Amino acid sequence: MSDVRIEDLGYYHGKDTPYEIKALDEINLDIKKGIITGLIGHTGSGKSTLVQMLNGILKPHHGRVLLDGTDIWSKPKDIRKIRFRVGLVMQYPEYQLFEETIYKDIAYGPKNMGLDEKEIDERVREAAEFAGLAPELLERSPFDLSGGQKRRAAIAGIIAMRPELLVLDEPAAGLDPRGRDSIFKNISDYQKKSGSTVLIVSHSMEDMARYCQRLIVMSGGKIVLEGECREVFAKSDILESVGLDVPQITKLVMMLREKGIELDPSVYTVQEAFEKIIELYK
Amino acid sequence: MEGPFIRTEGLSYLYEDESATPTLVLKDISLQIEKGEFVAILGHNGSGKSTLAKLLNMILVPTAGKIYVGGKDITADDIGDEDMLALRRSVGMVFQNPDNQLVATIVEDDVAFGPENLGIQSAEIRKRVDEVLSIVGMTDYAKHEPHRLSGGQKQRIAIAGVLAMLPECIIFDESTAMLDPLGRKDVMNAIEKLNREMGITVIMITHYMDEAARADRIIVLDDGRILFDGTPSYVFEQEETLKECGLAIPQCTELIHRMRDAGVVLDGECVTLEDCVSLILNSLEKQ
Amino acid sequence: MKSIAFGQYYPADSPLHRLDPRIKIILTILYIVCSFLCRNVLSYALLLTSALLLIVLGKIPLKIVLRGLRGVLFVLAFTALLNVFWTAGKDLIFEWGFIKIYAEGIYAAAFIMIRISALIIGTGMFMTYTTTPIALTNAIEDLLSPLKKLNVPVHSFAMMMTIALRFIPTLTEETDRIMTAQKARGADFSSGGLISRAKALIPVLIPLFVSAFNRAGDLATAMECRCYHGGEGRTRMNVRRLRFVDVIPLFIIVLFGTGLVLLNIYGFGYTA
Repeated sequence: MSDVRIEDLGYYHGKDTPYEIKALDEINLDIKKGIITGLIGHTGSGKSTLVQMLNGILKPHHGRVLLDGTDIWSKPKDIRKIRFRVGLVMQYPEYQLFEETIYKDIAYGPKNMGLDEKEIDERVREAAEFAGLAPELLERSPFDLSGGQKRRAAIAGIIAMRPELLVLDEPAAGLDPRGRDSIFKNISDYQKKSGSTVLIVSHSMEDMARYCQRLIVMSGGKIVLEGECREVFAKSDILESVGLDVPQITKLVMMLREKGIELDPSVYTVQEAFEKIIELYK
Repeated sequence: MEGPFIRTEGLSYLYEDESATPTLVLKDISLQIEKGEFVAILGHNGSGKSTLAKLLNMILVPTAGKIYVGGKDITADDIGDEDMLALRRSVGMVFQNPDNQLVATIVEDDVAFGPENLGIQSAEIRKRVDEVLSIVGMTDYAKHEPHRLSGGQKQRIAIAGVLAMLPECIIFDESTAMLDPLGRKDVMNAIEKLNREMGITVIMITHYMDEAARADRIIVLDDGRILFDGTPSYVFEQEETLKECGLAIPQCTELIHRMRDAGVVLDGECVTLEDCVSLILNSLEKQ
Repeated sequence: MKSIAFGQYYPADSPLHRLDPRIKIILTILYIVCSFLCRNVLSYALLLTSALLLIVLGKIPLKIVLRGLRGVLFVLAFTALLNVFWTAGKDLIFEWGFIKIYAEGIYAAAFIMIRISALIIGTGMFMTYTTTPIALTNAIEDLLSPLKKLNVPVHSFAMMMTIALRFIPTLTEETDRIMTAQKARGADFSSGGLISRAKALIPVLIPLFVSAFNRAGDLATAMECRCYHGGEGRTRMNVRRLRFVDVIPLFIIVLFGTGLVLLNIYGFGYTA
């Protein structure tokens, strides 16, 4: 399993034009191996830019992205190979489906890797299972599926490349609560079974709280908070100041603390809040 | 005008598509919506909630049943083009994808699109456009190009475009689903303003509980039928059933329910975060 | 890809920006006619001056106009060179081996360069830089409205133009996004021969078409909900009544053209 390290990373939108905007401001970061990390920030915080630099879609203006200690841009001609090692699922990925059948679509990435038929077949079936797609759907056209199934097919298309780092940009955007839960559960199961490293980008603090072990919070092209979920949620005032919607429970704890009630500020789930508040009555 | 603004009787809709077997997505829906009400229609994907929205201004035609808007039967066979225009003017609609409902290349031209179609005089259109842009807080963007705006801003322009037709009712078909939290907040505030300050009837299709909590009344759809119909506090009481159909109640309401189950006495309803704070504070004081 | 400035409208407050778009379309046509009326040194000099005057009148930074010309720089240079080397005449000024350059060639090259530049600057100043695409579309609809009597669907064409203009940036961004998504799956758009590059575009084009059709469907529904029912009984927020000031430029350009014709009759300087 590989190590992902980001050093001094900087990027400008519209570089050398009058509209130049600093999108990333000297970011230093380690993405911890074998866990799910959440990357949070409001629109324009630089998180999507950062994510597109991890697999070499965007080239840094300064600084480096190190994969196992090697700069991913050390051989610019081989940048395609990096994209197989760092799998990126973009926002609303169902719009990338194009093949006649789901099977062929999932096979597109592995095919580009130059794998043989047998290997591809194995990977497609495995990826479909990870993404929660029933085997009988594989022969269907992507355009006959429901929105949620299309989303899963698109995710499977990336998983089939067996990336060492899987990055998902808003994997549950636009889905209803049931769809959100089941897609996050699939991702979480995939991470546990494959032991790979996963980075999820999202606005939803409640989902992040439930499925991530670590959190990175970005604002204005910088990292403003980083750590275990508990540490990050304990600083909910910072989260709110950078325009993020903290979980309702965190807000409740904040408001109760303001009224002078002693509560641990790092509480962020209903279960914990229940346990802590019920103690007040004893 | 007396009676409910919208009334449906035994509404059913059969979805037919060459690739799938026909399914009954709405089954015998009878409901009434009063003028000036703020109603949220809640349900998971496939519950039929968007179909219901599209039936209410006849984008889709019901397979069976009747719909009355302002006392008029809009499903009648002899309904003419003029009646249809009148219906669309009085019942406006804002959709999910902010990119796919703006027509013009300049914000104010887009807002003017509806009134222009209605044949309103230029000076009057100008006046309305300025007014509605200020209502949704987008006056500064009147001359901007829509594609340079954020999702939340585009949705507010879409709302302005509907408002400019002076509707009595606006249906929001998952209008916040594709927005970031900031955009959602702005759009929700605009929706609330339309209802509370301008008295416009609002029907909001959503799967976000926190948004539904802001309505006067929630109708929960499941599998094409009405599961619950009542105030947010009544609907949130049905925690177990809601969970079974894939809907989660707000965290604070869930917490209060669990505390009650554990024997803590908490009097009053819990719909919002503020309710929850005061419930807990009050009961702690009594201790 | 986002940097594509479609239509190139440059917002400013100038006499040209304020001019009625319908007049601007007629002016553009007349200006093109004028540029073809030029025959001699003096008339071409006047044409060049008029083009520069238009830039000043439209308050467009020279840099922007020059950037617009940069696109046709190759065509300009090529036609100029062609004229320099291939125009035969009486006045030989340079000879080296088989290369013979005549004064007539130099004149011809200068004339053609002035004419093409003036055409581009003229259309730019009257239309693209100073008129929003939507105003232009409306003006075209107005000018063509007599054709409605012949059952030509003028309004529908204008509406289609508007929607196309509205969706070009959206679809450009979408193309960008789909390309990124396919690159993330190892698509390679930049190597291989023509055929393999064209093949690599299939995974971009199919999703793009699917999405464009979906958008079109959504948009049609949204338009229907906003009471769109064709051009019948439709009004406009911005109605432009023709003012006398709007007509003055027409007089000026007609005068300009007549002047050019007179210059041809009396002949000033070298005449092509």
